[in-house]
Amino acid sequence: MKAGATYLGLPDAEQLSSYRIWDSYFTPSHSNPGADGSSRLIAEVERALPAIRKSRFEKACYFPHVGIGTTTDAALEKKLRANPDLVLKPLQRWPKLLLGMIQLNANDVKTSLDALNRWLRDGPMRGVYFTGSGPGAVACSHRNMIPLVERIASLGGVIMQHTWFKTGGKTGPEQSTPAELAQLAAKFPEQEFLCAHAGGEWQKGIRAVREQENILVETSGFDATAGFIEMAVREVGAKRIVFGSHLPSRSLGTELGKVVGAEISEADKRLILGQNYRRLLKVEAS
Amino acid sequence: MTASNPGINRRDVLHIAAASGAASLVASQVDAASDGKDRPLEIVDTNVSLFHWPFRRLPLDVTEKLVKKLRSLGVTQAWAGSFEGILHRDMATVNQRLVRECRQSPELVPIGSVNPLLPDWENDLQRCFQQHDMPAVRLHPNYHGYPLTDPRFARLLQIATAAGRFVQVATLMEDTRTQNPLVRVADVDLGLLVDQVKRVRGARVQVLNWRPRSPLLEKLAAVPGIYFDVARVDSTDGVPQLMSKVPAGQVLFGSHAPFLVPEAALIRTHESGQLDLESMQQLLASNARRFLGKGKP
Repeated sequence: MKAGATYLGLPDAEQLSSYRIWDSYFTPSHSNPGADGSSRLIAEVERALPAIRKSRFEKACYFPHVGIGTTTDAALEKKLRANPDLVLKPLQRWPKLLLGMIQLNANDVKTSLDALNRWLRDGPMRGVYFTGSGPGAVACSHRNMIPLVERIASLGGVIMQHTWFKTGGKTGPEQSTPAELAQLAAKFPEQEFLCAHAGGEWQKGIRAVREQENILVETSGFDATAGFIEMAVREVGAKRIVFGSHLPSRSLGTELGKVVGAEISEADKRLILGQNYRRLLKVEAS
Repeated sequence: MTASNPGINRRDVLHIAAASGAASLVASQVDAASDGKDRPLEIVDTNVSLFHWPFRRLPLDVTEKLVKKLRSLGVTQAWAGSFEGILHRDMATVNQRLVRECRQSPELVPIGSVNPLLPDWENDLQRCFQQHDMPAVRLHPNYHGYPLTDPRFARLLQIATAAGRFVQVATLMEDTRTQNPLVRVADVDLGLLVDQVKRVRGARVQVLNWRPRSPLLEKLAAVPGIYFDVARVDSTDGVPQLMSKVPAGQVLFGSHAPFLVPEAALIRTHESGQLDLESMQQLLASNARRFLGKGKP
């Protein structure tokens, strides 16, 4: 398929529709959904909607808190535990657009295992998110990760792991690097992992996960630095790259711009923007 | 250089575009700008750089490729600094190469590099203005190692202002988290810029690559001579938010290409749908044209 016209950097509507964009990293009110359990999150989804509609996203995956100690707001945690329907509000409001993966608290394995039963085994969530900050975060090299990953794998869930390679090293022990994720992934060769942000410093991040074929690279979370997608396609192949928008705290420009502006084939863009993620979610064959 | 032509019509635009191989692009912009004005949005990119980024090759670091890409996006003028100006010390040749390169493409306006910590830096500055007739110089205070309170910065600002030129200050070139560990530089402290600009009557400084944050934004925006670009203004509605907080005319389009993918900054101008066509045109070109035309006596 040949690329069509663009308007101020954005492909035209027909082209965007042809990409069938599935966003693996949608972050409305990522750290706290609001004191009432949903209002801030819903407002942030609405804030992102013009960009989502303009770029013809088919799906966007967000990462809800489910009351297992992943925020610093004790009252909110209690509210979410007492009333799980609050967690479902965004999904009920935008059932065609949204899908969810719960944030796990790797500091509390037992509660997280229970949450996996409640939200992943029984639905409607499709996987989990391991954050790089906050009370639920541990480095993915931590032993607590093993029983959690075992359980997620047995339930067929998707795993998104936040990663960064920061110049000067980690700024907190709870943070994870792509190299640590590669070590974890090596223990679970049948499970696929998403390496969120490609490590930020992607030249190192891509190298760190290159040989670990059950790791896919997620594209969001850093400036639209030129050459990233080209290197990722060259080193790990387009089938191991998954688009994320990081909307609304980042932008369509930054995140979609990385892919539409890259010097790669249109077929590779379709893989990155949706096809790979749908395969991971088992809604489309490879 | 293609100037804005108020008398241009759709057929003229398509004729010109066909000749330059950009017909589909321009047609789509004409159609999108269907409010009766019947012409594409003009784009002036106030923040591009030529030659090689010191730490890796970039897909568009060959000028011919960069210009081709900018043309395909509808950019009619680009203010071009030099990546060489970050680490080189023979600034005369840095600026000479830049001028020579810019002569190859009518869209490119050379913006020279000056390091005021080098001996006889005034000579570099004068060559930029007198020999090369540059409208501005671009500074990298973090890579060159001085705060904006350094008296040499104040002196440079005075000379540039007296010559009717402006100064671009690159707040950063790369996120501190991804810099080469042996060449780490902090972002420029823009809090120090306020008093410096206030002290030089008529001074004009464009801040590049800054991600606005309160309350510093409000302090900077209150100074009439301080202008901004949008290269790293992130979040889906970051650009309209910036424009709402800054006096009209003080936000100029800039992409920081080829370090950043040029599509990124362009898409951010319209993804939220919050800017009307007039605001878009001001952001994308009119403010830059006005800014460029302000200084020279």
